[in-house]
Amino acid sequence: MLNRFFLLLFFIQSFAFAQDIPQKPNPPRFVNDLVGGLLSQGEIDQLEQKLKAYNDSTSTQIAIVIVNSVQPYDISEYAVKLGREWGVGQKDKNNGIVLLWAPSDRKVFIATGYGVEGGLTDAYSKRIIEEIIKPNFKESRYYQGLDEATNRIFKYLAGEFDADPSPAASTTNTGSWEDLLLMVVFFIVVVALLLRPRSGGDDGGTSNTTYTSWGSSSGSSSSDYDSSSSSSSSSSDFGGGSFGGGGAGGDY
Amino acid sequence: MNKSTLIIVGILLIFGMYGCSSYNGLVGKDQDVKGKWANVQTQYQRRSDLIPNLVNTVKGAADFEKSTLTAVIQARASATAVNIKADDLTPANIQKFQAAQDQLSGALSRLLVSVEKYPDLKANQNFLELQSQLEGTENRIAVARNDFNTAVQGYNSSALSFPTVIFAKIFGFAEKGFFQASDSAQAAPSVKF
Repeated sequence: MLNRFFLLLFFIQSFAFAQDIPQKPNPPRFVNDLVGGLLSQGEIDQLEQKLKAYNDSTSTQIAIVIVNSVQPYDISEYAVKLGREWGVGQKDKNNGIVLLWAPSDRKVFIATGYGVEGGLTDAYSKRIIEEIIKPNFKESRYYQGLDEATNRIFKYLAGEFDADPSPAASTTNTGSWEDLLLMVVFFIVVVALLLRPRSGGDDGGTSNTTYTSWGSSSGSSSSDYDSSSSSSSSSSDFGGGSFGGGGAGGDY
Repeated sequence: MNKSTLIIVGILLIFGMYGCSSYNGLVGKDQDVKGKWANVQTQYQRRSDLIPNLVNTVKGAADFEKSTLTAVIQARASATAVNIKADDLTPANIQKFQAAQDQLSGALSRLLVSVEKYPDLKANQNFLELQSQLEGTENRIAVARNDFNTAVQGYNSSALSFPTVIFAKIFGFAEKGFFQASDSAQAAPSVKF
């Protein structure tokens, strides 16, 4: 009987959570300011760019979420719920991080997915909160705080997943050049493919073979390009990673 | 004769098939609960492993009231003594486990509160890291317990609801215990500055 009661209680609790955790943004974004006014649009875009590049190079997903308040829940509980519901991180690696900030409560929490707990230990998360977030946020330097905090996360997680994160920060420029080059090549290939059957003529054997070889290999890269150009869909989607309660937080 | 035996055989067949599927369903959920339980135990174990380090750090840095420290050590000893097998997750056993762990939580939180008096300790990097680790472990325990409860909820609602309950009784799938949202929430060492 008592258990039935707790079962009921549990249902109510999970229902309440479902109400309180904000919906996963559509299209998914890494920087989610659900309060507004704390960061300028330019700052949000800059952070988004950075986290997107980091995701692309290391598959590690860092979501910055600003909610007004996490009351009546514990901020760690809230961050874990949110990370799980949104599925931050890759499903097979669980390499998601949620940096949750509740300005009304003056609280920040870094929640680490199962996979990043080894690199970004609770002690490191605490250190980021104490050494970077607190001093900056106290002076209302929110962007600096978040920017430096993510840099420090990159540092702690360097080499943990796939690629080296240090070039990731600097590739934003070269990345756009690559994109441009890719776009030009892609454009040429598409035009060539479109024109070829209509013109009926032969452009020459050598160029023909190069086109076909491009066509076979460009399948993945062109889709990469598509997703990055729209800056919204598949590439920045969350991968379904899970969280186990790791991380640390603090008040500022 | 032919017709009635056919009907009986048919009913038995359907019954048997239904029994098989509900048995399999129960086995799956039972395994799920066991897996989640293992995770709960891992997290409690992790906490219990952190405690000796914490105690040593505190002991070294502050000439501390001995009683608080011994209370923690004793609570840890009695908490690790209560070990429940995954096959035996009855409500009574879960309660026993929870009581032992809650006692440890209480002792720990008293220790961490009295530590506030020692500025040396609060400046000690080693201690601070232990503290954040302990804090993280408490969060992990909360998550693991929550997941365990969800699994038990799924299992119990299968094993206790009507048609399946027959097979659950036949195959001996007993009701499992929950972690209860007790006063442990208040007793858990909350580390605040």
